[in-house]
Amino acid sequence: MGKQTWKERIPTFASTLGLLVLIAAYYIIGAIRDANVAYGLKAVVNQSVVVALVATGAVFIYTLGSFDISLGAATGVSALLGAMAYNATGSLIVMFLVCIGVAVVIGFINSSLASVFNLPIFVTTVAMMSVLSAFMLILIGWNGAGDTIKVKARDVRPLDNIPFKVSMLVAYIALCWFIFTLLPTGREAKFIGGNPICAKLSGIDEKKLAIIASLISAVGIGLGAFLTIVYAPTLNKDTASSIGMDVIIAIVFGGMPVSGGPRSRILSAVVGAFSMGFLSQIMSMLNLGSGFGQMIKAAIFLLVVFIALGSQRSKLLTR
Amino acid sequence: MKNLKRTLSMALCLILMLTLTCVPAMAAGSVKIGVLVSDATSSEALAFRAYYTEYIAKAYDVEFIYSDELTDAAGEKSSIENFIVNNCKAVISFSSFDRPAQIEQCDAAGIYYAVATGTLTDEQYEEYKDYEYYVGAIGPSMDIEFQTGYDMAAYYIDQGVTRFGMFGGGVPYYVDMHIYRAAGMLTAMVEKGGEGANYKGADNAGAIIGQIYADGGIDTGKIGNLELVAYVGGYDFNDAWFGKLAQMVGTEGIEAIITVGSGVDVLGGFVAGSGVKLATVDSFTPAMGEAMDSGILDYMAGKFAASIGPIFAATYDAIQGSPIRDSEGCALALGQGFWVATDSEQFQQYSAVDSSNTDPAYTREILDQYAAPGVSFEDFAAFVSQYSFDEIVTLKK
Repeated sequence: MGKQTWKERIPTFASTLGLLVLIAAYYIIGAIRDANVAYGLKAVVNQSVVVALVATGAVFIYTLGSFDISLGAATGVSALLGAMAYNATGSLIVMFLVCIGVAVVIGFINSSLASVFNLPIFVTTVAMMSVLSAFMLILIGWNGAGDTIKVKARDVRPLDNIPFKVSMLVAYIALCWFIFTLLPTGREAKFIGGNPICAKLSGIDEKKLAIIASLISAVGIGLGAFLTIVYAPTLNKDTASSIGMDVIIAIVFGGMPVSGGPRSRILSAVVGAFSMGFLSQIMSMLNLGSGFGQMIKAAIFLLVVFIALGSQRSKLLTR
Repeated sequence: MKNLKRTLSMALCLILMLTLTCVPAMAAGSVKIGVLVSDATSSEALAFRAYYTEYIAKAYDVEFIYSDELTDAAGEKSSIENFIVNNCKAVISFSSFDRPAQIEQCDAAGIYYAVATGTLTDEQYEEYKDYEYYVGAIGPSMDIEFQTGYDMAAYYIDQGVTRFGMFGGGVPYYVDMHIYRAAGMLTAMVEKGGEGANYKGADNAGAIIGQIYADGGIDTGKIGNLELVAYVGGYDFNDAWFGKLAQMVGTEGIEAIITVGSGVDVLGGFVAGSGVKLATVDSFTPAMGEAMDSGILDYMAGKFAASIGPIFAATYDAIQGSPIRDSEGCALALGQGFWVATDSEQFQQYSAVDSSNTDPAYTREILDQYAAPGVSFEDFAAFVSQYSFDEIVTLKK
C-alpha cells in the first residue's frame, strides 16, 4: 500500500469537491444575478431534505448491489396514509407513526417477497411500484374530496422550518452511519455488494440482510413522507413521484457506485442530494429554460460522476 | 481511449464555461416575474408562453422565469422559492394544485401573486381577497366553463343531433373545469331533451354537478329523446384506453363527440374520415387549424394566447405601485371566456390575430390604454369583459 498521489485522491473526493464547486458557483452567479442567496440556502435545504433522507436509507439497499425503484411510490403512499391518519385523529404524532409504519410495512413486503420467491429486490420493487401507484389513486378515491388529500397548512406550519428538518436529517444520518460503519451489518452488506458468492460462502445471510436493509430504508422513506406533508400538505397522485429517480441521481452524484460494494458511503446520498439542490438553484438563477437547463445539469452530472468513478474502473477487486 | 476521455472532459468543461459566460449577458430584464406552469408542452401552453416571452417581455422589458412542468403542490412551493431567490417581483400562476398555499407563500415573501386562465373558488376568494399581495384572477370562472360545455352541446342539439359521445378528460381526476364543462353539456341535453329528461334523476345544473362529483365519472344512457351513447374519461394513454376511444368513434349511430378538452389530440386520428363530428375546447394553434381544415374538428371553443395580457397588466400595475382593487379594496375576480369557431374561415381569422408576435390580440398599446397604472377597477373590469374577437378588434381600432 503506497502513499496515494493527489491524482489518485481526486476521484475519492470528487463528489464532495463537486458540491463545494457548486456552492461557490451558486454564490458567484447569485451575486451577478442579484439573487437572494440567503433565501436560496433555505430553499436548497427545503428541496433536498426529503431526497437526502430517502437516499440515505436507500444506500443500504444499493450497497447490497440491489436497486429499489419503488421509493417514490412508497413515499407517496406513506404520505397519503399519514395525511389521512392526521385528518382522522388530529394528531401529528399519529401522522408521524403512520408514515413510518406504512413505509416499514411496504419495505417488509418488498424484502419478504424477494426472500420467499428468491428474487432480486429490484424485481419485487418493480411490481410494488405499480401496485403502490394504483393504491395511491384508490386512496385518493376513498378520501372522496376531489383529486387531493389535504392536511390544514396551519397545523403543520410549526414544523415547516429548517432547524426541525435538519435535526431530523442529522439524526437519521447518525443512525445510519452508526449501523453502516460500526455494526457488522454495514460490513456484511458491503461484502455482499462486492462479491456475493464469496460473502455467501463466508456464511453471510443475504436474505436477512436484504430485510434489514429494506427496513432501514423504510424508516428514511417514512421520515421523507412526513416531511413531504409538512412541506406541502396538499397531496395528489403525483406526490413524491420524482423521488425514485432523484434518489438514484443523488446516490450516483454523491460518488457511490450503483453496483454497491465496499465503496458505498452513507454520506454519498447527502452530498448528492445537496449537490442536486444547489445545481437546481443555479439553473433557476440562469433562467435558461427547462430544456437547456436540463442539458447543462446532465453535463455537470456526467462530469462529476466521470471523475468520481475514475479510480474505480481500473480496480479489479471492487466493482 | 485516453484521448476520448480527454475530449469528453473538454467538451463538458466547455459547456460549463459557456454557461457561466452567458450569465452577465442574461442579467437583462428590469422586472422579473415568475410563471408557474403545470403544462409546459401543450399547444395552448406554448402559445401562452410565446405571448409572454416573445411579445410582452420585449414590449415591457420584463424577464419571465418559468417553472418546470409541475405535477404537485410541493413543486409549486419549490418553484415559488426559486422565484423568490431570483428576486421576482411577482408570480403569475397557471398551476392550481394548491392555490391557497401559493397565495400565502407569496404574501409572506412580499411578492405579488396572480392567477392566469383560472379563478379561485368563492370560499378561497373570500379568504384571500384582502391579501395585500394578491392581485387577483382573470380567466374562465366555473360559470363560464359550465356555459362553454352547455353551448357546445346546445349547438349540436339545435342542429338535430340526438346521439352523442363524450370525452371527459380530467373528470375522473376531479378536475373542476372539466367537471363543469361536462355538467354544462349534460344540462343542455336535459333542458333540450324534452319532457321529463334527466341525467340519473338529476334535472338541473346543481344536481348534475353534484352527481358527477359523487360518481367521479359520467354514465351513458338516454336523456329524454337524446342519448349519450358512449363516454370515455381520463388520460391513461395505454392500449386499453385508446381502444375505448376507437370504440366510441365506432359506436353505431353516433353523430357527434363533445369533449371537455384535448379532443383533437386524443380522438382526431379515430374521427378522421368517420363522419362523426368532433367538438372540443382548446386553443387557436396551427394543429387545430389543420384539424378544422381537414374536417376532423367541427367546433372549437378556444382560449386565445393574448387572453393572459390583462392579468399581466394588472400584475405589472401592482409592481409599479398601483394595484387595481375594487371599491372595497378587494382583489380582482374577473371572468373571461373563449372564442368559438365553427368553420375553417372563422378559425383562420381568429388564429391570424392570435398567433401574431408583433400584433397580438392585446398589444401594449391596448393594455396601456385600458390597463395602465391608475386605471379604475370599473374601467379595467369593463375592458376584460370585452373579450370576444369582435370586441377586441373594435378596441384595437
